[in-house]
Amino acid sequence: MKQEMYAPAGTPVANARAGKSKIGYLIKDIVRDKWLYLMLLPGIFYFIIFKYIPMYGVTMAFQDYKPYLGFFESPWVGFKHFERFFSEPQFGMLFRNTVILAMYNLLFFFPLPIVLSLMMNELRHAKFKNFVQTLVYIPHFVSWVVVVGIFYILFTTENGILNEILYQITGQKIAFLLEAEWFRTMIISQSIWKEVGWGTVIFLAALAGVDLQQYEAARIDGAGRWRQLWHITLPAIRSTIIILFILRLGNFMDSGFEHIYLMLTPTNREVGDVFDTYVYTIGMTQAQYSYSAAVGIFKSVIGLILVLGANWLAKKFGEEGIY
Amino acid sequence: MKKYSATLLSILLLSSLLAACGRLSDNDKLASTDGPVNLSIGASLVGELPPKNNAVEQAIEAYTNTNLQIQWIPLSAYDEKLRLMIASGELPKLVKLGYSPSFISTLKAGQFWELGPLLKEYPHLAAINKRYYENISVNGKIYGIPIMRSLGRATIQYRKDWFQVLDLKMPVTLEDWYQVTRALTLEDPDGNGKDDTYGMVLEKRYNQDVSSLLTRISVSQGGPNKWQVENGQFTPEFMTEPFYETLKLFRRLYQENLINMDFPIIDTIETVKLYDSGRAGIQISGGNAQTWQDKLSKYDPDGVVDAAPLTGPGGFRVPEEPGNAGFLAISKDSVSTIEEVRKILDFLDKLLEPSMQTVISKGVENRHWAEKGEFTEVLDRTLDFKEVKPYRDMLPYLGEEEALLKPSLQPDLYRKNQQIVKSYNNYLISNPALTLDSVIYSDRGKELETIITDAETRFIMGQIDEAGWKAELQKWKQAGGEDMIREYEQSYSKLNK
Amino acid sequence: MVQDKTIGNRIFDTVNYTLLLLIALLCVMPFIYVLAVSFTSPAEVAKGGLILWPKEWSLASYRYIFSTNTLVRSMLVSIYITVLGTLINLIFTSLMAYPLAKTHLRGRQTILLAVLFTMLFGGGMIPTYFVVKALHLTNTLWSLMIPGAISAFNLIVLKNFFQQIPDGLEDSARIDGCNEVGVLFRIVLPLSLPAMATFGLFYAVGHWNQFFNAILYINDNTKWPIQVLLREVVILASSSIGDSTIDSTEIQPLTIRMAVIVFATIPILLVYPFLQKHFAKGVMLGSVKG
Repeated sequence: MKQEMYAPAGTPVANARAGKSKIGYLIKDIVRDKWLYLMLLPGIFYFIIFKYIPMYGVTMAFQDYKPYLGFFESPWVGFKHFERFFSEPQFGMLFRNTVILAMYNLLFFFPLPIVLSLMMNELRHAKFKNFVQTLVYIPHFVSWVVVVGIFYILFTTENGILNEILYQITGQKIAFLLEAEWFRTMIISQSIWKEVGWGTVIFLAALAGVDLQQYEAARIDGAGRWRQLWHITLPAIRSTIIILFILRLGNFMDSGFEHIYLMLTPTNREVGDVFDTYVYTIGMTQAQYSYSAAVGIFKSVIGLILVLGANWLAKKFGEEGIY
Repeated sequence: MKKYSATLLSILLLSSLLAACGRLSDNDKLASTDGPVNLSIGASLVGELPPKNNAVEQAIEAYTNTNLQIQWIPLSAYDEKLRLMIASGELPKLVKLGYSPSFISTLKAGQFWELGPLLKEYPHLAAINKRYYENISVNGKIYGIPIMRSLGRATIQYRKDWFQVLDLKMPVTLEDWYQVTRALTLEDPDGNGKDDTYGMVLEKRYNQDVSSLLTRISVSQGGPNKWQVENGQFTPEFMTEPFYETLKLFRRLYQENLINMDFPIIDTIETVKLYDSGRAGIQISGGNAQTWQDKLSKYDPDGVVDAAPLTGPGGFRVPEEPGNAGFLAISKDSVSTIEEVRKILDFLDKLLEPSMQTVISKGVENRHWAEKGEFTEVLDRTLDFKEVKPYRDMLPYLGEEEALLKPSLQPDLYRKNQQIVKSYNNYLISNPALTLDSVIYSDRGKELETIITDAETRFIMGQIDEAGWKAELQKWKQAGGEDMIREYEQSYSKLNK
Repeated sequence: MVQDKTIGNRIFDTVNYTLLLLIALLCVMPFIYVLAVSFTSPAEVAKGGLILWPKEWSLASYRYIFSTNTLVRSMLVSIYITVLGTLINLIFTSLMAYPLAKTHLRGRQTILLAVLFTMLFGGGMIPTYFVVKALHLTNTLWSLMIPGAISAFNLIVLKNFFQQIPDGLEDSARIDGCNEVGVLFRIVLPLSLPAMATFGLFYAVGHWNQFFNAILYINDNTKWPIQVLLREVVILASSSIGDSTIDSTEIQPLTIRMAVIVFATIPILLVYPFLQKHFAKGVMLGSVKG
């Protein structure tokens, strides 16, 4: 149908195109899509001005950047900062901790908003649905300081509410907040508590796009709830899930600094110290802008590889992917 | 629809351009007049923004014949904003800097005026205690006027009523500290029949920075303040005997459940709550004991707090703190002539005159404070908080006695705490490495510190034993600690030639 | 809609309803805590524990924050940049997302890749500041709206949403003589209300929570949004990420901090229920198509 719109087969336009060179096609297409290109312009300008012009700041990672010298006079040091970073004794530990936490996040956190929005999608009472939606997205607005504070009140061994209950039942307390083996569980559950509801918003929007007639047709065919979910609902939001998954991989190495930092103690540092907290520690005594930038580039390169890889895979399986 | 959206877009774009063009920085308009001196100041803001042209600012402008443009920068973004200002050459003339490696490197690079040689021309600036200047010197040079704070602040603050009930004495030795903590924890000092009190409550930053509890106790027992120097040889505090003994005290307290088991994670907010609600009996604090008393009284009207000097077997021994909340430096970017530098120093000098010190510390008479017999009295705490505190925090203030001000009306405990702090002056143990140069420190100081502070916590919790502690010390040495010691020694010998 | 009345379905519904109710209550708990503390007297807060209902009510915290001279003004600034900023975001983002949703568009992949790249690499604070300054945006509220006009993330996801709209609908508009801008505004956007609501919400929340750029770009503190104030009161008070030079006696009591959180969060919380009706617009699609 689209083909018809732009160049109906057998018309003079299409015939004329057949004889033209590649550049001719290109010009032809651009002229045809002039409105689309025009619409792109503000966005392209935006990205050039606000994202690509400042991009020279990346060079900081290859300099000994000093604010008073600026980008043009700070001395160049090549890969010095990267060499230091890779040869740090903690590098292995930081890398492992960051990756494990990221995997946990993808495995346990990422699917939950989808599940939750599917559950909400099954609600028949609009009022109740609205009520649940409004409440679950509230924790997103509570800052990490407050969330961690509330977890402290609940989980500490000194009169923490949950530990008191645990003590009544088992006669023992568990130092959830101190023991290294509980660290990741705590981090992930806090993330879930704070962000799962917020994560549903985008899926609910995707679900709103599902054509209700399809459900009716399916019901007439005798499809039950599960089959409707499997054959109509999930396919409808599949591409959104894939896009979000791929984009999430871009931030794979970001662990959420403030959150981790608030939960980090000497007793769990061996599993809790990640690149983000490391950069903070480094930056605290000295403004090691260049070194921090080098770590940032390392994280981004990994993110880029993951995104491109995942996108390639998605396309291989016939999905649209990001581009 | 098409027209509508296109119009909307163009209006948006146009208005943004117009808005942008009409804007000229206020600073540009106010340049060069013969009247009051224009002075821009970059100041950090904690808490609320003072109202524009408030009485305090007006009083300062009138007295010093200046036109102040104070740029309040929230502390949470202060360093970034300053970095931006340095990078873009938009620094205010006078700006607050902190004594941290990033600023030190900027000072070394000559971005700010060296003030040391000029100070003698200004009587009040020259009269400030040398220690304050020494603590902000870079390679022996002085680049700023300190925003002064007490040099030694740590006092023992305790529940006097509980001490009386249990017949306890002020702790002097480490064994005393153990006994007192033990009694306060186990002997039910509040007499409610429940095992619900602590002797001492530690918070997660208990061993960090200048307010480190371990340093404070270790110094009182004869230990060094962060670094020990003997015949030019440097030793970090955590390799000295008194410090290790202090560490063992806390290990013992932890083993016997005499301090809170969750100290590595608990926030100050929570520990303060425990003290304020009558759950804990003794602490070493840099604040004033009166604050604790005020909050405690709301909860327990019969609770009595008292303050005592930090004392060890050798009498008073207190770690000296840097004694400043940063310093005011003059930027070469925005102040190009020595004449202007002198004008600014003149302004700062005037600020130290008694009438200005009164405004900085108490505000304007009959608005913020009033005379009451031989004292002055705050009229409205909220107004004081909003209009006076921001200036008190960021301008040099000597303290009531030094500035020859009429004392403000304060409760006895407040004065007592103040007197104790004052009496420390001859018993302060200084940190010999404070202003020394070390590349390792500025490159990885925090990393190295973390090795040790983590080990301290794990030692106290019994996760590592003496051998484990020694191993961590070795790890510190190898990770750069040894080089840092050498660098300090070199820098020390260079300065003390 | 006809309910299926099998036993399996009933069990499913019961479990589903109960579970969601529990989740909802669990989620609202932290906010109730914040709300309750803000209405509690400081003395009671000192006792510690989780307060979900104040025993002694106190309005002192709110009285205090309303007495400040900056609060109301910064609130107005926040509302202004949130409303206008979000409008700019939505226009710019959909203008760019729509052409990129057309798979036949030449150069589309290159542009998308270039956009994706900016999600991972950026020049950082200082170079961006120089751009903002060169455009004379510093010290204006535009500096809080224009530099973030398009979020790469939202752009890519919105592009994906647009792609799912059946081509047939757009073609019918083209036959009616609309150009692509017309198609976007007359057909695509009205059909994408759930997406618009979603990204509007994302952008609005982003604007509402801005504080860092305000401090960097705006020297005139009468133009600061509420979050700058909020950060000052709340974040600094937490000693965990802070500065040991701050005297703990000068920290605002917990009750006031919580009151500020409530005051600064409620307006943005209220946005969502208003947007909610757009999330149920899926019903329309069929009828338009038919």
